Amino acid sequence: MQLGFVIDQSRCIGCHACTVACKQENQVPLGVFRTWVKYVEEGSFPTVDRHFAVLRCNQCTRAPCVTICPTRALHKRPDGIVDLDRDACVGCRACMEACPYDSLHFDGGRGVASKCHFCAHRVEQHLAPACAAVCPTQAIQTVDLHDASHPHVARVRAGETTVRRPEKGTGPNVHYIAAAPVALRPEAAHRPSAWLWSQRAPGRDEVIGVGAADARVVMEPVHAVPWGWHVTTFLLIKGAESGFAAFAPFTPLPTWLAPLVASVGTAIAAGLMVADLGRPERFTMLLTRGNPHSWLVRGAWLLMGYGLLQGVALLDAVLGSGSVAHALGWVGAALAPAVAGYSGMLFSQCEGRDLWRSRLVVPKMLVQAIAAGGALTVALGAPALLPVALAGFVAYFLLALRFRVGDGQPAHYLRTARPRGLHPVAVLGAGTAILALSSVLPPLALLAVAALFVEDSAWVRAGQLPSNS
Amino acid sequence: MDLCNVPPPETWDDVTELDAAAWPRRVEHHSMLVPTACFNCESGCGLLAWIDRDTLEIRRFEGNPLHPGSRGRTCAKGPATLSQVQDRQRILYPMKRIGPRGAGKWARITWDEALDTLAASIRRELVAGRKTTVMYHVGRPGHDGAMERVLQAWGVDGHNSHTNVCSAAARLGYALTQGADRPSPDYENAKFILLLSAHLETGHYFNPHAQRIIDAKSRGAQIAVVDVRLSNTASMADWWIAPHPGTEAAMLLAIAHVLLNEDLVDWAFVDRWTNWRETLAALRPGTPMDLEAFKVAMREQYAWATPAFAAEECGVDPATLVEIAHEIAAAKGAFSAHVWRNAASGNLGGWQVARALALLSILGGAVGTKGGTNLAAFDKFVPAPALKPPPQDAWNPLTFPDEYPLSHHELSFLLPHFITEGRGKLAVYFTRVYNPVWTNPDGMTWERVLRDEEAVGLHAALTPTWNETAELADLVLPMGLGPERHDLQSQETHSARWIVFRQPVRRVAMERLGRHVADSRGANPGEVWEEEEFWTALSWRIDPDGSLGIRTWFESPSKPGTPLTVDEHYGWIFENSVPGLPEAAARAGLTPLQYMRRFGAFEVKSPTHGTHAQPLPTEGTVTDEADTVRKEGRPVGLVVDGQAVSGFPTPSRRLEIWSSILVQWGWPEHAMPGYIESHLRRRAPDELALVPTFRLPVHIHTRSANSKWLMELANNNPVWIHTSDADRIGVATGELVRVVTRIGHFVDRAWVTEAIRPGVVAASHHLGRWRRHDEGGVERWASVKVAREELEPGVYRMRKVDHVGPVHTDDPDSERVTWTEGGVHENLVFPVQPDPVSGMHCWHQVVRVLKAGPDDRYGDLVVDTRLSMQVYREWLALARPATGDLHRPLELARAVRPINEAFRRQR
Repeated sequence: MQLGFVIDQSRCIGCHACTVACKQENQVPLGVFRTWVKYVEEGSFPTVDRHFAVLRCNQCTRAPCVTICPTRALHKRPDGIVDLDRDACVGCRACMEACPYDSLHFDGGRGVASKCHFCAHRVEQHLAPACAAVCPTQAIQTVDLHDASHPHVARVRAGETTVRRPEKGTGPNVHYIAAAPVALRPEAAHRPSAWLWSQRAPGRDEVIGVGAADARVVMEPVHAVPWGWHVTTFLLIKGAESGFAAFAPFTPLPTWLAPLVASVGTAIAAGLMVADLGRPERFTMLLTRGNPHSWLVRGAWLLMGYGLLQGVALLDAVLGSGSVAHALGWVGAALAPAVAGYSGMLFSQCEGRDLWRSRLVVPKMLVQAIAAGGALTVALGAPALLPVALAGFVAYFLLALRFRVGDGQPAHYLRTARPRGLHPVAVLGAGTAILALSSVLPPLALLAVAALFVEDSAWVRAGQLPSNS
Repeated sequence: MDLCNVPPPETWDDVTELDAAAWPRRVEHHSMLVPTACFNCESGCGLLAWIDRDTLEIRRFEGNPLHPGSRGRTCAKGPATLSQVQDRQRILYPMKRIGPRGAGKWARITWDEALDTLAASIRRELVAGRKTTVMYHVGRPGHDGAMERVLQAWGVDGHNSHTNVCSAAARLGYALTQGADRPSPDYENAKFILLLSAHLETGHYFNPHAQRIIDAKSRGAQIAVVDVRLSNTASMADWWIAPHPGTEAAMLLAIAHVLLNEDLVDWAFVDRWTNWRETLAALRPGTPMDLEAFKVAMREQYAWATPAFAAEECGVDPATLVEIAHEIAAAKGAFSAHVWRNAASGNLGGWQVARALALLSILGGAVGTKGGTNLAAFDKFVPAPALKPPPQDAWNPLTFPDEYPLSHHELSFLLPHFITEGRGKLAVYFTRVYNPVWTNPDGMTWERVLRDEEAVGLHAALTPTWNETAELADLVLPMGLGPERHDLQSQETHSARWIVFRQPVRRVAMERLGRHVADSRGANPGEVWEEEEFWTALSWRIDPDGSLGIRTWFESPSKPGTPLTVDEHYGWIFENSVPGLPEAAARAGLTPLQYMRRFGAFEVKSPTHGTHAQPLPTEGTVTDEADTVRKEGRPVGLVVDGQAVSGFPTPSRRLEIWSSILVQWGWPEHAMPGYIESHLRRRAPDELALVPTFRLPVHIHTRSANSKWLMELANNNPVWIHTSDADRIGVATGELVRVVTRIGHFVDRAWVTEAIRPGVVAASHHLGRWRRHDEGGVERWASVKVAREELEPGVYRMRKVDHVGPVHTDDPDSERVTWTEGGVHENLVFPVQPDPVSGMHCWHQVVRVLKAGPDDRYGDLVVDTRLSMQVYREWLALARPATGDLHRPLELARAVRPINEAFRRQR
C-alpha cells in the first residue's frame, strides 16, 4: 500500500481551506505550515495567469528525510505514510536539509521537526486527511497508488500527472493534474519582497528579486534556514583540531598537546552540536536508537571513538609513560582525515541542498582541516607548518571560487545557490596575509582562521537559501 | 482504502478519535459531533463541531455533510472558527464605558445592568410614542426574520443594515427586472457562466457556489469573468475580461447587440416570459403588438452598442464579446450569470450593470431554467414563527429618506450625515456585528456623530469581538460567534430550498449529556450570550407587565407568564412551518427540533428551477386583457400557452425589460437597461480609478481579525498598481505611495503587478485595523494603535504609533506573529457617493497616486472633514426625491416592511 494524494489543479481555487484545516487539525503553530498554497503569476496584462499549487510532503517512496534522520524518528509506515515520531526526534533539523521539497519545519515550541503525516491519526480511524475532507472543490483526493483500479491511479500510471522535481529521484507520491510547471518548479519563478496580500515573513531574504523575470511567486511561506553558526563553528573546530592532530606527530610539539587539543576540541565540537539540537537532552538517542544509514550517526560514532582515543592518549601522556600516547598520536593522525571529511558525506546526504551535494564537498572539508589545522599548529609553536597552512588556505580559496560557479543550474538560480557576501578573494586574501604575518607573531595564525569561518558561514547559508517550495 | 470525510451520522454521539497533538502515541478522545452553521460570511455553510465528551472542549470544526448547500465542505473560514472561539483577546463580559465616550476606559458590568439600562431608555421612547428613535443597525444578520419580529413587536421603524455599502445596486437592477432583488444561478447545470463577481473566492455564496462552478467547469462548462483585476476567480476562467471600470454595462449591452443582430435570441422565451408588449408600447407607441416589431425595436434600441463601440469605450477585445454572445446562445438556457458587488457596487449607475446582465439572461432564455439564473425568492425558504407581530405603522426618514425612493435598502451609510443635517436623532442605537466607523466611507463623520451624546443617546455594540465602532459605544455586549448562538437561516445557494439551524454547540452537547443549561451563557466562554435570548430578555424588561403589548410576543405559549424559550420558538417553527420536516423527523424517531439539533440542516425542495412555470390555482382570480392573472386586484400570475402560472414577482408577473417603476418614479430616461456613465468616466489624465471592492478568500469584511490563522495568510493590503503606472510614478513594489481622494489621502505600499488593468489601482479592504487606546480594541496581531492630530481646523491625520506584533497571552501562538504592518485602512478617506437611484455607495474612487513624500508614513490617513459634507451634498443633489403620495413604490420590497399606510408621505 502506498497512500498518496492526487491534486487536481484544474479544480483548485487557491482558497487555503486546506492550509487552515491542517492548522486546526494538527495544531500547527503560527509561522510554519504542513501544507500551503503557492501562488505564481506569469505573463503581462491582459494575458496574465495566476497558478496555484498545493504543496506538502510527498510521502516519498525513497524518502531522503528517513535516510538522514539519526534516530529513525522519521519512518515509512506500511501504508506508505512518512511519519514522524515526535518522542524520538532530537531536533537536529537534518531532515529539513535532506528534503528537496521544504516539507519539514521546526516546531520551536516542542523543539522537534514537524511535517504532514497524511493525518495518520485520522487514517487509522478511517477518516480522510483534514485537507482532503475540507476541500470545497474536491481538488485534493486521497488514493492508494498501488490500487490500479482507482481512476486517479490509472491517470497517474497513464502519465497524465506530474510530480514536483522528479529529477530528485525520491519517488513522490503526491501527483498533480493540470499543474503549471512554473508553479511546481521552485527555480522557475522569481520572488518579490512582498506577497500580493501579505507581508513576506523574514528569512532567506537573499532570494528576493532573483529568478526568471516573467514568472513571479506572489505567495508562499518563507521557510527557515535550519542550520546556522553552531554548524559552521562545529565544522571549523573539528577541522582545526583534527588537522592539528594530523600534523602534530611531525612536529617537535610536546606529546600531550595533540591529544589535549583533539579531545577538548572534539568535546567542544560535539557539545556545540548537542546544544544546537532542539531537544539536547535526547542526544543519547543518537546512540540508543541510531540510524546506521545516517551520516549524523556514523559521525557521532566516529567522533566518540576518536575522542575516546585522544582522551586515552592524553591520560597516558600526562600520567603514564607517554609511549601509548605516542603510538595513539599516529593513530589519531591517521583518523583525522575521516574526522574532518565525514561531514562532507553528511552534507552530501542533504538532498535538498544542491550546493552541498557537490563532489568537492569532502575535499572541501579536508582542505579546511589542512588550512585551519595548519594555522593552529603554527599558532601553537610549530612555524615550520606555515607553508602547509598557506597551501591549505590557497586551496580553500580556490575551492571557494569553484563553489561560486555553476554546474548546470539556471544562472538566476545560481545567484542565490552560491555563497554571497564578502568576496572570497578579499576574505581569503586577508586571511592569507594575516597567516603570513604569523611567521613574526604566531598567535596571528588563529586570527587568520576567522577568514575560514566567514567563508564557511557563507557556504553553509548559501546551500540553504534556494527555495524548495 | 476507504476513507470518509466525516464519520457516519449514526455515530455522532460518540466518535473515537486519536489525539493529533499526542501523535504517534495513540491517545483516544471521545467526541460528540454537533452541527451548527458557520457565521463568518453569509453563506450559512454547515459546520460540525467535535466536542470532547469529557472536557466539553471544542476540538475542531468540519463541514456538515448533511447541509445541502455546502455538502460537508467549507472554505478556510470554516476551520478558522476554532481560532475565533479560542481567541484569547475576545470580549468575554458585558462592559460599560467609564468617563467620556471613546476614552478607552471600561468597567465590567452584569447583564442585568446592561438590560435594565437599555430597557429604561427604550421604554421611555415607546411610552412617548416615538417610533423612529430606537435603531438596530446590523452588519451581518445571519438569520431570517428574527429581528423583524423583535422590532415589529416594539412597533418601531428602526431597522438599519449594511446593504447600501454592499449590494444595493445589484439588488435594484435585479428587483426591477425579475421582482426579486437577488439572483440564484444554477451553476451546477450551467454550460456557460458569466461572472461579474469573484465567486471562486469570496462573496455570497463563495463555498457553495465555488463547488458548483468548478463541478460545471470539470464537465466542460465555459467560464468568463469580468473584473478589473485578476481575481483568483478570473484566473480560473476561460476568459478574463478587464474593461475600463465603470463601462461594464456598455460592454454587456454590446453582447446583447450581438445576440439581437445575429438573431441568437431565444425569442420563444422572450415571448412567453417578458413584458415585451409593454416594452414595445413604450419604445414605439402605437405600433401593433407584434414580436417582429419588438425585435426591430430592440435592435434599434441597442444599435449604438456595437462591439466596435465597446472596444473603444470599454477597452476590450470586440471579438471576445462576440464569442461571449455565441456562448450564451449555445448554452440554450443553461447560462448562469451573476453580479453582486463588482462593477455594480463601484460605479454611479451600477444598478444598470445588473439590468444589462439580467437582459443577457433574458435574451439567452436563461431565467428560471435548468442551468440558468433563478430568483433568490425561489431558492430561499423562510419559515414563519408562531408569534408574528403586525407590521409597524411608522416610517423612518433616517433610513428611507424621500430622496431615494428606489433605494435597496436603508441609506445606512448616510446616517451621520442625516443626523448632522438635523433630520433626526437616536435615543438608543444598537450596532450589531457592524463597524460603520471602519467599514463605511467617511468614517470620521461617523466618529463625530457617534461621539455626540445629544445626537446618539445610548449606543450598545452587540459584537463577538472588538471593533473600531465598539470603542465609541456606551455598552459593549459580547454576543456569540457562530457556534455559540441560535439562528435559523436559508440561502439561495443552488437549485434547492434549505434551512440550516445555527446552534450553540457546547450547550447542545451539555444538554445531550443531561446537564441543565439555563441559557447560552451557561455554555459559552465567559458571559458571552446570544441575541435570540437577549432580545427576549430585553423585551420583557421593556414591558415587564405586558401593558405595552410587547411582552406577549416573547411569552411562552405553554407557560404563560414566563419568557419564550429557544426550544419552544424553534420547536414550533420546525413542527409547523417547514414542509416535510416533521415527516423526516418521525422517520428518524425524533421530534422536528431533535432532528434539527442532531442533523443541523434540512432540504425543503430540490430542484427549484422552473418555479415560475408552476401552475397557478385559478380560484378567485381574474385574467386581464394583458393575460396577467390577478387576485383581489393584485397581480399573482400570468397565462402562458393557455395555462395560468405564477410567473415572476414583478408588477406584470413577467421579466421586465422596460420598467414602469422607473418611469413613474422620475427616471424615464433609464426605463430600459442602459449605460450610465460612471463617475470614473471623466477622469483627468493623471487620475486613476481606485477599486476597493477587492476581497480576499481568507477574510470576512472586518470580522476576521480575531482569527490568527486567517491573519497569518493575509495581513497586508498593498496598492495593486500596473507596471506601466508604477513606472510612470516611479515606484517599485514595497515602496510607499500616497493615494489622494476627494477628501484626503492614505499612504500604503505599492504592489507592482501585471494582474490589474493599467489605469486602475486596487487595495483589498479587509486590513488596516486600528485602535485608539491600550485597553480593549481589535486583536493585537491585527491592529495598530493610532493617534489623531488636527493638522488644521477640520483636517485630521491618523498616524500609527505602534505596530502589529507579538503579544503575550496564554496562547503561545500570539507571540509567534511575524508580520508587523497589518495593512492600511482606506475607507476612511473616501467621501460618501450615494447613487441617486439605488442609494448604493459607489465605492470606486477617482484618485491620484503619488510617490510618497518625506513626511508620509506607512498607514497615514488624512481627511478634510469639511469636504466630507460638501461631497455628500453634491451627490445628494443628483437624487430625484419622491414627489407623489408615497415614500416608495409599494411594488418594491422594503426591509422590515411597515403597513402600506406608512408608505404615505402625508398622513
